[in-house]
Amino acid sequence: MTHTGPTSERTFALPDLGEGLVEATVLEWLVQPGERVERNQPLVELETAKSAVEIPSPHTGVVARLHAEEGRVVAVGEPLATFAVEAGAGIVGTVPTEEKPTRRVRLRPPAE
Amino acid sequence: MDQTLLDATGEPALRYTVGGAEPSREPPVLLVHGFGSDFELNWARAGWVGALRNSGRRLVGVDLPGHGGSPRPHDPERYTPKALAALLARVLDAVGAPEADVVGYSMGSRLSWQLAVDFPGRVRRAVLGGFGPVDAFEDTDLEGLERGADGGRFGAVFAAAAALPGADTAALAACARGQASQVYSPSPAPDGVPLLFVAGERDGIAEGVESLAAALPAAEVLRLPRRDHRNAVSAQAFKSAATEFLARGRGLSG
Amino acid sequence: MTELAVPADQAATATETSMQQAVNAALRTLLAEDPATLVFGEDVGRLGGVFRVTDGLQAEFGDRRVFDTPLAESAIIGLAVGLAMNGWRPVPELQFDGFAYPAVDQIVNQMARMHYRTRGAAPMPITLRLPSFGGIQAPEHHGESLEALFAHVPGLKVCAPSDPADAYGLLLQSVRADDPVIYMEPKARYWNRRAVRLGEPDLPIGASRTVREGRHATLVAWGAMVHRCEQAAELAAEDGVELEVLDLRWLKPIDTDGLAASVARTGRAVVVHEAPLTAGLGAEVSALVTEHAFASLRAPVQRVTGFDVPYPAGPLEPQYLPTVDRILLAVQRTLEF
Repeated sequence: MTHTGPTSERTFALPDLGEGLVEATVLEWLVQPGERVERNQPLVELETAKSAVEIPSPHTGVVARLHAEEGRVVAVGEPLATFAVEAGAGIVGTVPTEEKPTRRVRLRPPAE
Repeated sequence: MDQTLLDATGEPALRYTVGGAEPSREPPVLLVHGFGSDFELNWARAGWVGALRNSGRRLVGVDLPGHGGSPRPHDPERYTPKALAALLARVLDAVGAPEADVVGYSMGSRLSWQLAVDFPGRVRRAVLGGFGPVDAFEDTDLEGLERGADGGRFGAVFAAAAALPGADTAALAACARGQASQVYSPSPAPDGVPLLFVAGERDGIAEGVESLAAALPAAEVLRLPRRDHRNAVSAQAFKSAATEFLARGRGLSG
Repeated sequence: MTELAVPADQAATATETSMQQAVNAALRTLLAEDPATLVFGEDVGRLGGVFRVTDGLQAEFGDRRVFDTPLAESAIIGLAVGLAMNGWRPVPELQFDGFAYPAVDQIVNQMARMHYRTRGAAPMPITLRLPSFGGIQAPEHHGESLEALFAHVPGLKVCAPSDPADAYGLLLQSVRADDPVIYMEPKARYWNRRAVRLGEPDLPIGASRTVREGRHATLVAWGAMVHRCEQAAELAAEDGVELEVLDLRWLKPIDTDGLAASVARTGRAVVVHEAPLTAGLGAEVSALVTEHAFASLRAPVQRVTGFDVPYPAGPLEPQYLPTVDRILLAVQRTLEF
């Protein structure tokens, strides 16, 4: 069964890399816009003042946009990539389906 | 899962972790990090745990003494290549691995070489990243490390490591002195162990690796475009070349 | 720069927009226009909200203006009260309706009456965003309708949009107002997309909107039930019955004039809400119609509501929430009276 339900966008910002690091340079994107990615699939390689890191994708979905080209310095908290993900109802619940309601009740118009 | 290796007196000597794919008949992959780094920073964050898991390999990652979660002695004798290689062999004993594939980076490559030389039969194949035959300490003022003296090529590496939060400068300096006390020599070479050298094409520390490999009976070299000593370790080409090389298993043939 | 599907500067053109995106766009507009505006709550910052409503805001406006709070609803509203007393314009979010209960003390005892208590010295320009109502088959505490509770508290304004355009406009009005507003977002409509213009509010605070005209009866609703009433009106039209649908939008203050005018045209009223029947806001609507349009009424005002039980688990939602059949039956009762 394929899901063609609604999608919502999620923007992924450069996470806190620890070690007091406040920025990182984009070494290499491992995905491209339009590409479908799985959660935890390698997303991008970054270089910090100490080391090179590989950042996994936080989402399953389609890469909508990349916000920094290779070689650019990105500060912690700045957006890296935006994903289009199938809409879930957040942490709980389900997205309601848009269906035409069925009915059993018929009305009789009032006498004018 | 984090484990602690004890020394002969029962004191903690080294912390290591076991992960990756489920145990199989393939030997585990021992990952040995570089100077000033640790397993988490050198390998885990660079994406190696997932890469090895995806290729079905069990991994054993160590934090070398003076680094990461391991004890930090201030005695240079504890950090000689021979002493550390012996510790690595004891890690293989502890995880029940008669032999292992080894992946090292920088100083970790130096130690992987030493492990293969000193413990014949324990290393099946080895990938040596960010490594070359040049003596890394030849222009280093080893006595001035803690003072931030101009330490040449290695001095910059030391300064970066010492600047990290939680770094033990005295332990790092002891490590550097212990390493420098035994100058690297291409001879003797590991006997019967196929080697893959990988380095960024801009990695000055790996200078001369091509001629080193050419003089060995079973060695290959991969240079990574646009990468240097600091950023080569996360490269996908490094991981795929390493997992492919290790998957060839026993024997010297390609 | 973070890009979002609905930049505020495209407000002049009709764009296919979901309510999630409309609320997000409104928050962007508000954060950009007034540096005193602050957005905070559980998971609204780094995560971008469990419903994605605050996606990208922290990246664009920084973590001093869009930030995460501990999981402590009373503290979230207490923080908002203190910030408001010091000149800020807080827009806190409580993640789900049912988790407003732990904050009721701060909402009722502080936020609602601080302006009154200080004889006007401390305005409370707080807009409490509250994802509300049922319809997404969520567990307990995630499907409550608290409008009657808050409408009963002097000092609070309460509104509930039913579509993306109103979600945008009502939020601008709520945040710009110097009074505390409970802004109830119908979760079940978050994903519904409509081609709308996101622009400045076109109606004053307290105004209702006639979303469908008809002459036989008026359906009165708010939030997600507006859509349900539109569906019922569509079906009634097949039978030759023309139903008017009045979206109240503001539940405190209620548009008494608009309500009375509609009933004066149709002579019949059915009020529909998700909350339980007893002491629900339908009783207030019924009383207002009786007081202000008694002479026009041809039948008693009917109420179609949830039941006097705790909001049920997900699989029972279709049995609990008003259906088109229950709405049509109530209409039939007014027609046959």
